Amino acid sequence: MTHVPTTSRGRFIGAAAAASAVAFGCPAILSAQNKTIVIGLNIPQSGPYSDQGNDQLRAYNLAIDQINKSGGIMGMQVQSTVGDDRTTADVARDNAQRMIERDGAVMITGGSSTGTALAVSALCQQKGSLFMATLTHGDETTNQNCHKHTFRRYSDAYMSAQALAKTLVAKYGTGTWFHITADYSWGHSVHDNLAAVINPKGAKEIANVQLKLGTTDFSAALSQAQAAKPDVLVITEFGADMVNCLNQAAQFGLTKSCKILVPLVDEYMAKGTKDNFDNVVSTTPFYWQYHQSKYPGAKKFIDAFVDRYKVPPSNGAECAYVDIMVYKQAVEKAGSTDPLKVIPVLEALQFNFTKGPEYFRKEDHQGVNSVLVVEGIPEKDRGAGGFQFARVLEDHSGLSVLQPLAGLACKMETT
Amino acid sequence: MVALSQALLNGVVLGLIYVAIAVGLTIVFGTLRLVNFAHGAFYAIGAYVGLVVAQTWGLGAGFIAAPIAVAIFAILLDRFLLRPFYAKDATSQILVTFGIALIVEETLKLIFGATTQQYPVPAALATSFSLGAITYPAYRLLFALGVIVMLVLVWFFIERTDYGLIVRAGVRDRTMVQLLGGNIRQASTIVFALGAAIAGLVGAAASPIYSIAPGTGFAFLVPSFVVVVVGGLGSFWGAVLGGLLIGELQSVTTLVFPPAANVIIYLCMALVLLLRPQGLLGESEVIRQ
Repeated sequence: MTHVPTTSRGRFIGAAAAASAVAFGCPAILSAQNKTIVIGLNIPQSGPYSDQGNDQLRAYNLAIDQINKSGGIMGMQVQSTVGDDRTTADVARDNAQRMIERDGAVMITGGSSTGTALAVSALCQQKGSLFMATLTHGDETTNQNCHKHTFRRYSDAYMSAQALAKTLVAKYGTGTWFHITADYSWGHSVHDNLAAVINPKGAKEIANVQLKLGTTDFSAALSQAQAAKPDVLVITEFGADMVNCLNQAAQFGLTKSCKILVPLVDEYMAKGTKDNFDNVVSTTPFYWQYHQSKYPGAKKFIDAFVDRYKVPPSNGAECAYVDIMVYKQAVEKAGSTDPLKVIPVLEALQFNFTKGPEYFRKEDHQGVNSVLVVEGIPEKDRGAGGFQFARVLEDHSGLSVLQPLAGLACKMETT
Repeated sequence: MVALSQALLNGVVLGLIYVAIAVGLTIVFGTLRLVNFAHGAFYAIGAYVGLVVAQTWGLGAGFIAAPIAVAIFAILLDRFLLRPFYAKDATSQILVTFGIALIVEETLKLIFGATTQQYPVPAALATSFSLGAITYPAYRLLFALGVIVMLVLVWFFIERTDYGLIVRAGVRDRTMVQLLGGNIRQASTIVFALGAAIAGLVGAAASPIYSIAPGTGFAFLVPSFVVVVVGGLGSFWGAVLGGLLIGELQSVTTLVFPPAANVIIYLCMALVLLLRPQGLLGESEVIRQ
């Protein structure tokens, strides 16, 4: 019989306990002992939404470096673990699981699609990890599929549609509408919200062509639109899909024959579509040129971002930055990284970084902050390397466009 | 009626784009028996070379540089990596070419970044042609005409030149061709380079229509395999018929019932595999042997 010395035995048991702790999902404790906080950054670095994902990553890295330089969160340095979700729900969920179980992430953030956000949200709820969703605009994230562990600061499709209502009637009239829609939760959500706003006012929807995420050739839908001669062409596509769709629409002459509406835009989409985005109306929760002139916090963030990356931040990057800063504030207030302690703090927190005072609504964890209605300007008038792409038509406060509580389908878990 | 004619015309042009992407794949399979998963990578390299050259020397120079660069890359691959795999089973071929595709994608990402890029349609071509009641983008029509010219040239090469004769004979009996003094190895290299050059040219020429990203190759690989399977593996005219059929099906389905437009091409492939497994114009293995 082999004799095992007690010291080795003790060490062995300790290692076994540590291994079990990791296996059973208690890495938060380990991280705290190690004086680091691990945050999982789950964003698309490839695929149609990669421009948006990569810009969010820049903002995350900026925020984390700033926090670490100023002493970390409660004295703990922040470490990140990065995953490319390829805008695919399964990959996003696998990434998040790996970040939580292997890397010991106590908070997951990121996303450039409602499809991936819903998958990660469900996983984080199951694992008891916090999920600060960044670029997800479909209602479901904080409405039908809301979860206790998920917070979403980015405005949703309902808010965009409400913000657009006045402009749609004034600028687009109520004639015939042709929709080209991304065929997944986000596209459906945007289409349904727009239809609910504009159809009762007399708009006649003549078609809603739904095409899968990552479609490269839109000619079948566009030639149909050309034959239908609509008054308004709505392009509910995002990222490179929107760029392909709008540029191809211009080749079909549609930018001249009808008015174009793109319900959600960011800097990279406007850059990619050049003059085809001229006069196109859209919404965005943040526009660096507008916000830096109104809020000192926004200017400080934008200056730091431009200083480091030589380009201004897109709206997704701003949301990514603020999500990290809000998380820091909440953890420090809670005095712990334990999600069950951080969640009540986030539900009651008032914060002010780039857009004035904001908060998350307790009932659905939707961020209450403003939505801009913008209109594209010609390429020759754009400054800052094309990043100055629009004029602001309206600035709607979060409360004025938020889904009323009565209309919420969100049933929040108690644990 | 206008809507239907517009959809039919679009189906032809869309189909010709599919044909252009698939034809290189099918001639390589037909002559070398190589299942080439790196075909999409050739498309992507062509697109990026086209982009870089076109930014400095104009679109025309891009169209010349792209197929040449991709052909050189293909010759190097053939010479130093792929030759032992021509006689191997499909699984080994898929693994090695898929590996090449992944390496190319990641290398493009390293050089150009993961962000999507465009180059615009030249101003002179950024208009639409009017054909009676229907109008169509000039660049797409020109692209379709270019594909037809290219198909005629490729057909001429395979069917009417001495090299083409060696290639066709090599498909039937490789050993006999060598015994008769035909340089089958050189002919194989030329066919592989030709298939790659076509993909590279199409990559450059299609880029004013579609945006370019490192993963673009894979996005085009899938429909081109569908086209080749529907038309018949290795059949030149099969690729033409398959491409046009898929283009029309997709275009008309979008008009009639849009949600099915994404599924229809796979449905078509499944039907062909069930009813005529060798593809519409493919030879069955029994006849071949």
